[in-house]
Amino acid sequence: MTAEMTTNDIITRVAQVMIEELKLEDVTPGTFDPDIDLVDEIGIDSMDLATVALVLQDEYGMRFDEDDYPKLTTIRLIAEYIKDQLS
Amino acid sequence: MITVSSLLDNEWYERYKKISKLNIRSSIYDVTNRCNLRCRGCFFFSSGEHKAAKEEMDVLQWERFIEKEKDRGVNLAILIGGEPTLCFDRVEAFYKRLPTFCATNGLIKVPRDRFPDMMVGISLWGDEQDEKLLRGQDCFAISSKNYEGDEYTYYLYTITPRQIGKTERIIKKIRDIGVKVHMQLLSNDESVDGFSWREGELVDICAEMDEMLDHYPDTVISSRYYHKVITSGNMLDRDFGWLECPSVTETFDNRNPKPKRLIHFIRWASDLKTMHRCCTSETRDCSTCKDGAAHMSWVMVNKKAHIRTAEDLKNWIEVYEMFAKLYRFIPW
Repeated sequence: MTAEMTTNDIITRVAQVMIEELKLEDVTPGTFDPDIDLVDEIGIDSMDLATVALVLQDEYGMRFDEDDYPKLTTIRLIAEYIKDQLS
Repeated sequence: MITVSSLLDNEWYERYKKISKLNIRSSIYDVTNRCNLRCRGCFFFSSGEHKAAKEEMDVLQWERFIEKEKDRGVNLAILIGGEPTLCFDRVEAFYKRLPTFCATNGLIKVPRDRFPDMMVGISLWGDEQDEKLLRGQDCFAISSKNYEGDEYTYYLYTITPRQIGKTERIIKKIRDIGVKVHMQLLSNDESVDGFSWREGELVDICAEMDEMLDHYPDTVISSRYYHKVITSGNMLDRDFGWLECPSVTETFDNRNPKPKRLIHFIRWASDLKTMHRCCTSETRDCSTCKDGAAHMSWVMVNKKAHIRTAEDLKNWIEVYEMFAKLYRFIPW
């Protein structure tokens, strides 16, 4: 991670990966609300999250602990999780 | 982007939220290779799975194994067999460590002082005549005495083609002993004459299952959408089969593209090392499989596909609620 990479940068990338990997329609990284509940509103399940996590792990060189999945309910929380793992 | 709350009113949205984060992770365990029945059409014996592995006899090994299963993230142990009630020490090893469901033919009573709230599912194959023909005896006559009024038990009523027009009497019998019932369809693994489904019969039995749910809502745990999916083998214009089944053991799953599936699902043989292909047997033709759990799981893992209309999503919610009730993740 470069020094300039902010949580907002990661949010945009997480949204992009989510849209591409889960084939979400009618949404762009710019319009994806980072605080929307992914489970309660979008219907993301743990298999979806695992799919997204695989891509993000490779990209950021970190690991998602499966036990932490239940806590990762918004794009912002995922972005902050990635940042914490890298710090 | 379609959101859940945009499709549902408040009541349905609250129902959705009660189940959306349950995160159920089940696996299936052959507790023993032995059974006190030899039913015609039982996949376990007809496929030779009872000889696939030598039973682990040391309960300490079972306890160690279950701890590892917990660490793997399993939060629902589904015990099948053989007949699990022949080995209560192994059942207890699960029960003390994990939410546990025990499938049984009901001939042996689960002692409630030892397993006060363990979920028990009693297999019932058709009516008295079907049971005598397929299982050698009227098992209901015994199981109904063992489990009368038991609030942690339900009957898993496997409907045979001979039951068309006759299911109400069975549902009433179950209601009258104060037990719940869930319905599925016979897969006829040993091609017993007269017990294979024909096209029109599946349409008829779907209507009859709907009728039973409507008339006996306090007894029947089910949903209309589940009836439609299991009888048609079709969901959202997709056909059930090997390429779609969610209940394939994870390590055997080399399907490409990977379908939506049960996370970390494994069906373990009784040596605690061997794995079976899926929740039934690898000799079964997936395109005609009528396994109830596989079909309801198929709906459940395809949540996002149902977030397209209010009706689709409500159907999904009802199936998930049905599953969660059957395993007591939410109350009846």
